[in-house]
Amino acid sequence: MPRPRIPDAKLSHTAAMILQAVDAGFIYGFSIMEMTGLPSGTVYPAMRRLERDELIDSQWERQSIADAEQRPPRKYYKLTGAGRVTLESSRKRYPLLERLIPSEEARRV
Amino acid sequence: MKSPLEAAACAVNVGILRAASLFVPARQRMEWRSEWRGELWQARSQTSSRFSWAQEREIAGFCLGAFSDAFCLRRIDRHIYAAQTPRTRSLPLRAFSVESAWQCLLFLVALVGASYGLAQILPGVRAERSMPEVPVRSGLVLIENNDNEDSLSTISSGQFEAWKERKQEFFDGFAFYRVSRERVNLGPVSKGWGVASASSNLFALMGLPVRFRQTDASVDADLPSVILSEDVWKREFGADPHVVGSVVRVGLRRATIAGVAPVAPWQLPGQVDAWLLEPDSRDPEKGSGYVVAHLTPSGKSKMDSQQIRITSYSPHRSPDDLLGIRINSAARGPWDAFLFAVLLAFLALPAITSVSFGEESVSLHEISRFRRFCRWGFLAAKIALLLPLLHFAALDLSYGFFPFNVNEALYLQLVVTFFGCLFGMSWVLNDQRRRCPVCLRRVAHPARVGQLSRTFLAWNGTELMCMGGHTLLHVPSLPTSWFGSQRWMILDPSWKFLFAGPARD
Repeated sequence: MPRPRIPDAKLSHTAAMILQAVDAGFIYGFSIMEMTGLPSGTVYPAMRRLERDELIDSQWERQSIADAEQRPPRKYYKLTGAGRVTLESSRKRYPLLERLIPSEEARRV
Repeated sequence: MKSPLEAAACAVNVGILRAASLFVPARQRMEWRSEWRGELWQARSQTSSRFSWAQEREIAGFCLGAFSDAFCLRRIDRHIYAAQTPRTRSLPLRAFSVESAWQCLLFLVALVGASYGLAQILPGVRAERSMPEVPVRSGLVLIENNDNEDSLSTISSGQFEAWKERKQEFFDGFAFYRVSRERVNLGPVSKGWGVASASSNLFALMGLPVRFRQTDASVDADLPSVILSEDVWKREFGADPHVVGSVVRVGLRRATIAGVAPVAPWQLPGQVDAWLLEPDSRDPEKGSGYVVAHLTPSGKSKMDSQQIRITSYSPHRSPDDLLGIRINSAARGPWDAFLFAVLLAFLALPAITSVSFGEESVSLHEISRFRRFCRWGFLAAKIALLLPLLHFAALDLSYGFFPFNVNEALYLQLVVTFFGCLFGMSWVLNDQRRRCPVCLRRVAHPARVGQLSRTFLAWNGTELMCMGGHTLLHVPSLPTSWFGSQRWMILDPSWKFLFAGPARD
């Protein structure tokens, strides 16, 4: 049975970075790797754990979209409600998090 | 269109992902592969179209990360599955954790049987077993130059001849041999062998019986005799005893094969494939070689240690400083090496684990004498099975790698036995500490209790439970003066109703 994380539970800096990256619109594994600069052996297992703790949720891209772009379908991740609350508390714990990975709105500005 | 190098790199990447996927639980494997295939495509699409090794290295590094992911997914899956069905799941998952005492002993017996079976099959082990115990004559010394820095120093043939001629007080026999590389014609083929040109009395002086010795009078007495080493006899002649009596060409000379040298764990210096015994009428070949000498009774009385210093005078009256090293008849075989390694391992054991069980019982209930006897008996049985397992496994490994090279095999056996015994005993002791003293099953379900920061104020450590409902085990995180070692709490029968299965007493 998945064990839901308590919303204000403390995340490691790496997990917080990944959560911030997903929130910032980097929603598949390779893009998170590129954004955070973390190796694949760190990013993907961390994402599995975040998904297990129900802080992120995954969904497969529609095949038609992938076919149109002539590539294999991607698995996209998004923050859950609990993930959003945990990210908020992580931002307080790691104040530079938002500067490291600015959110979509901040990037637009 | 991909270049062949690029196609090969792609194949390697896909191979890495497929290998990693084998660690992913089967029901998630297809989805996992699809995700990684997509990610790999993404990684490749970000690189330049021109092939470069640096780029391929990066992509391979990316793919290798899939192993971490696979292991992580496997761990997560195991926890989830175990949490869903704790009792039904616990048994198959722990199939190899040898939970009960009988399972543990049967597992060890199976390992002993397998290693023994392998020892019966491997040719190296069989050859070692069939090796006759050939004692070397007592009072033999190998004489070498003391002033030579080399570990295998040699004596010149001239020096040897001078000794032979002179009256000796301490030695009553000498033999000389010199090792060189010679081409040996075996019918249509010729091979390079290490050939020792030796005095004809070498084997007699050492008291070694030559196997299959040719005594036929028709053999040409003027031809030198060749004594084959056991290894060459098996390798080149298929261990055929009828090869004795045939004539081979060693270098430029013809020689008769006169027998096979006995195999023994001790060896004279030099890598010798065959011994060419020269007739006495022939002068020994010029050059340096080794001298084996036999001590007279007065010589034996002078030699009270393994070495003796000898001063010899050459025909020009110049002194030569020599060293006589005793050739031991009691050479070390695999059994001695095993005992020595086990002794060393037992001495080194306290360095890697605590040898004391250091445990106390904090319960009013006592364990019966019979249970205590069973517990110690179980420990003794594990050690008793571990030792033959190590012996056979080390023999398998060492004589598997070096089938006919006794010295190398002995060294490897020594190392394997030492480390095997060290870590095997460590496992035996740690396993014993985690077994319920009542039913001898391993305690399970570790639970962390207390906080490390409060170690000196309250109990802090791990609590484990016997699944039969007999005991609780408390292991302190940090040994303190009031809680220095693990403690067993024996549970009375009133606890049994808490356990789903019937507790076996």
